[in-house]
Amino acid sequence: MVDSTQASRPAVSIAGCGAITAVGCGLDALRSALRANASGLRPCDRFNSPRFQSNIVGSAPGNGDGADLDDPAWRLAADALRQAREQARDIVAAIPAERIGLVLSSTKANIEALERHAANRPCSDAARRHLRADLLAADLAATHGAKGPVQCVSVACVSGLVAVQQGAKLIERGAADAVLVVGVDHLSAFVVAGFSALKAMDPTGCRPFDRDRRGLSPGEAGAAIVLARADRVPPPAITLRGWGGSNDANHMTGPTRDGSGLAQAIRAALEMAELPPAQIDYVNAHGTGTPYNDAMESAALRAVFGQRCPPTSGSKGMLGHTLGAAGVVETILCAVAMQERWLPGTPRLNVAADGAPASLVLQPRSVARLDHVLKLNTGFGGVNGALILRHG
Amino acid sequence: MDKLVVAAASVVSEADARAARLGTRFGRLDLSSRLALLAVEALGVDFDALPRDRVGICLATRAGSLPTDIDYWNGRDAPGGPSPTLFAYTLPSAAIGEIAIRHRLTGPSLCLVGENTGALAEAVLLIRRGEVEACLCVECNLVTPALARMIQLPPAARACALFLQRSGDGLRALRENDRDVESLCVLLCPPKSAT
Repeated sequence: MVDSTQASRPAVSIAGCGAITAVGCGLDALRSALRANASGLRPCDRFNSPRFQSNIVGSAPGNGDGADLDDPAWRLAADALRQAREQARDIVAAIPAERIGLVLSSTKANIEALERHAANRPCSDAARRHLRADLLAADLAATHGAKGPVQCVSVACVSGLVAVQQGAKLIERGAADAVLVVGVDHLSAFVVAGFSALKAMDPTGCRPFDRDRRGLSPGEAGAAIVLARADRVPPPAITLRGWGGSNDANHMTGPTRDGSGLAQAIRAALEMAELPPAQIDYVNAHGTGTPYNDAMESAALRAVFGQRCPPTSGSKGMLGHTLGAAGVVETILCAVAMQERWLPGTPRLNVAADGAPASLVLQPRSVARLDHVLKLNTGFGGVNGALILRHG
Repeated sequence: MDKLVVAAASVVSEADARAARLGTRFGRLDLSSRLALLAVEALGVDFDALPRDRVGICLATRAGSLPTDIDYWNGRDAPGGPSPTLFAYTLPSAAIGEIAIRHRLTGPSLCLVGENTGALAEAVLLIRRGEVEACLCVECNLVTPALARMIQLPPAARACALFLQRSGDGLRALRENDRDVESLCVLLCPPKSAT
């Protein structure tokens, strides 16, 4: 039940975006990959070791083989933020720095510094400082003109969606007029070893919703969204209409089989957006490519939409699983798709799994209408998140 | 605007967490999750009296999962690689999962990392917006000596918890100047009495 003051809250829109991902640097790279249904997953020599289940990952330009950065989290986040601020330049310039907030979303911040510390490898003071996500957030805010409230969100792989929500809430409650939402996680031996230990990686690269899917492929990204009061963003803008969260309360690393937790989050988002399910034009799924996740998501979509599931696809075959950045970069992908009226496909999906939504989109295509999009993410600890965007 | 009630508060220490027995899984959790879980247990809240999908969890963690990250990465050269079990706890929000599982709480959750996170204000907002009826607000301050040497934070090992409700009996009404979880918990529930 949403409280009665909702109608009086200011609407929040996307004023600018930026991203550096496995498919390249900038929104044009993302747009091209979206149209071509391209995959940025590649073998990476850094992970050529028997202790890793796969070396196929989504590495961002300049962060892959041959790179020796001690602060890759900073580089990814700062690059993405610079792009987003540039796109929203006129809007941001009109807002005092004290009214600009920043919300960072990350699961591991600059974990490279811990690896270097453990191996007695050189590491700058800044890189070590950014091991702490809150200090990474503070430094991003300080160097990008955000003197308003700063938050650091970390809710497993739902972090990005929650960060977008938190940014919107800061604006809704009058704490800021614009918020820089930044999602970042970089590829690391730390994470690849962990997913390998869990046997959660697909040795041939992830294939979301595929009949033969075997797991995920880690990726990295810096992604940034400038949120602003809707009355500051020229139409047709993309507006945040509703969101919801829930917990499976079931298992630390595995989802519920029936998708009830995710369905609860979707229903909460629909209620907040005051939309019936039939109004959703497209669902961008979490779609990790693990057998259990994709089956759970399919069940959740059946529970909410019945036999009339909207067109659905997953983007991790394009970008890899970018963890704390996933919710931000996949929201950006949705925003690009809405602006272009271009339905995203599911890169690397060959044959849909039994039980997958019949409306699964294998290849991208142009559509007449893409007004309401539902973005989903789920994560370890049973967390689920749903976000509804509106175009126009 | 309706007053919110602080229904219960707790403070627990590392010694409490090491001595506690909360089922067979408890001993296998990382210290951060054990502290947070024990702080919630010490509240003595009867969750059966509440719709579990209407209870939120708001976690603040000063150093994220860094203490556990160090333990996990120290095991990287073990046969078979680092511990898959410990890997699940290398997330700052891991304790949310453990709290939700133990008390079957299916409402929304939030985890904020750092000092002065404003977690109490976020919990209040979750209730005021109508997203939940009640909210667990947990602050975990774990900085192990190994971590303290690496980052600029003093060693610490304790957790505090509050249970906020729209109405009902409780310790007292939440006040405008109640700003952070730890101060309020210490005020309402001095550390020794929590054990």
